[in-house]
Amino acid sequence: MEQKLYVRALKFFLIVAVTILFFFPIYWVFSMAFKPFPEWTAAAGKIYWYPHHPTINNFRAIFSRKLEMSPIAGTAIRPIVNSLTVSIIGTGIAMVVGVFAAYGISRYKAGGNLPFMLLQLRMFPPIAILIPIMIMWAFLRMIDTWYGLVIIYGVVTLPFSVWLMKTFFDDIPKELDEAAIVDGCSNIGAFFKVVIPLAKSGIASTALFVFILNWSDFLIALILTDRRWTTIPVHISKLQSAMVGALYGPKAALAMIAAVPPIIFGIMIQKYLVRGLTFGAIKK
Amino acid sequence: MAHISLERLVKRFGKQTAVDRLSLEIKDREFIALLGPSGCGKTTTMNMISGLLKPDEGNIYFDGQSVISTPPGKRGVGFMFQNYAVFTFLNVYDNIAFGLKIQKLPHEEITRRVNEVTRLLQIRHLLRMSASALSINDMQRVALARSMITKPKIFLLDEPLSNLDAALRATMRAELKKIQQEAGQTAIYVTHDQVEAMSLADRIAVMNFAVLQQYDTPYNIYNRPKNLFVANFIGSPTINFFEGIYRKKEFVLSDFSGGIMPVSPKYAKEVKAKLKQERVVVGVRPEHLKVRHRKNGSGHNLKAKIVSYEPLGSKTVVYMHPDGNPHAIIKSVMGSGYKPKLGEITVLDFEEKAIYLFDKETEELSLRFS
Repeated sequence: MEQKLYVRALKFFLIVAVTILFFFPIYWVFSMAFKPFPEWTAAAGKIYWYPHHPTINNFRAIFSRKLEMSPIAGTAIRPIVNSLTVSIIGTGIAMVVGVFAAYGISRYKAGGNLPFMLLQLRMFPPIAILIPIMIMWAFLRMIDTWYGLVIIYGVVTLPFSVWLMKTFFDDIPKELDEAAIVDGCSNIGAFFKVVIPLAKSGIASTALFVFILNWSDFLIALILTDRRWTTIPVHISKLQSAMVGALYGPKAALAMIAAVPPIIFGIMIQKYLVRGLTFGAIKK
Repeated sequence: MAHISLERLVKRFGKQTAVDRLSLEIKDREFIALLGPSGCGKTTTMNMISGLLKPDEGNIYFDGQSVISTPPGKRGVGFMFQNYAVFTFLNVYDNIAFGLKIQKLPHEEITRRVNEVTRLLQIRHLLRMSASALSINDMQRVALARSMITKPKIFLLDEPLSNLDAALRATMRAELKKIQQEAGQTAIYVTHDQVEAMSLADRIAVMNFAVLQQYDTPYNIYNRPKNLFVANFIGSPTINFFEGIYRKKEFVLSDFSGGIMPVSPKYAKEVKAKLKQERVVVGVRPEHLKVRHRKNGSGHNLKAKIVSYEPLGSKTVVYMHPDGNPHAIIKSVMGSGYKPKLGEITVLDFEEKAIYLFDKETEELSLRFS
């Protein structure tokens, strides 16, 4: 009995410890967002574990036309709109191309070694390809444009969408497409009428994953944008001031806002995220 | 009306030949079974008939018309898949109506045909159910309904019963046969289960290693197997084979030390005439091979030791080794009352006219007396 209690206590302790480890940064961002300047600044010389005088001044600050403390950053409305625009269009490109490519690869073994080459794309450190891309984009006058960013987002996340969708399509027995074809569908008809409806949950979860990748990207946006098309992560990095250094309060406030769209997207597609459907066929 | 004719079909996957120069004639309204072990090319053949696969060589004719360039949906075939391929995202009605909707039939016509087919298969109560909630048995009926509804001239069934439990399988077997006869379709049935093939089919095409071994009625497949493979594949328990040499009006069987099987004078002439060489394989079906406890008048001196037995109720299957040779297994089917004693040395007895003689080299049947 004693040992059992000891084991249980240890388990409980571990669970609590891991939970704190994972949730503390999130808690810290949330609490920081509501702290007034004296509480979040390092100059205070003291750690405030929670906002003693909660305020929404940090939110006011990031949406004000001119940030008092920082002459570099303007209002955060534009970066939020930018982030939404490029992430959604980038995800759209990756998904449309990815779904078709994955179906071809899954069913017709199309492309030979292409799927593996796509995977190899991910093995480069991103910075290695970003500098040449920046130079190319500069020549093409695509720096600081939405399409310059969107194309890269679509391409960079394509390996993920292709590989994830391929595994989903592999799971759908090909007899289902064949049944539709025998019933009179064309190949494309079977794809749209049967395979796409069956792959809905896969498409939804892949899209969410790709969206989060694009949404949280910092490096690409930092290198390929300048003023007009900066995204939220880049804007957060710009919240600096010569006098107090990093503006942790406003940074935290913007980070909190940045967490909202993926959560909303996640809730919207929640019902499709349930996996384990048998696809109407018996597994062998 | 659908007469199917396959002409020297060849299908290769990479270096592997899945179907090798297959020619088959299937008469209108005939029910044929493609039977063989897995990987023998039977499903590939089926997919070529349905149009899902294009043969590399050869031609396919429906009623004398080549359908090689006709897309699957226009061939007038109904296909029932082994895993049923029911669309879970649709309800039962939409599943069954799928083919008709593709053909863009008027709404009333679709409803009428769905009702007709579901009444026949007794699944009307399921119509509004989501297909994902169906039991396997119901799923099987929905799949059957979906492939029937377009009134195909040709009905292709790819192991449709292999996922059902044994009792239901027997019921569905009878039902399938009835439905096929009522609908007057030509049916091709792929299976690896000889019982299904024997009980359902008018004719059976036995395939192995991409090659058609024999195409004949169930009776002839069993009683006149063309070669060792067919003889071995059909029949449960499997046939007994004894290798031996024919010499001076008797077979000397190598599995038995000094085992001799004399040939009676009335058959000796025939054996001599039919055998191209002296090395033969003698086949005896277990039901023709009886266990005797003492030597009888037939002159056989083939001794065997009983090692195990299966009392199956209606019959008892006895397993033996040839005396002094524990590597070979001999099977015998005895009556239900038979109680063997393990370890007993017995004498094997079989009627001469029940044996099959195969050529050792070509593995083809050279002689059957009856």
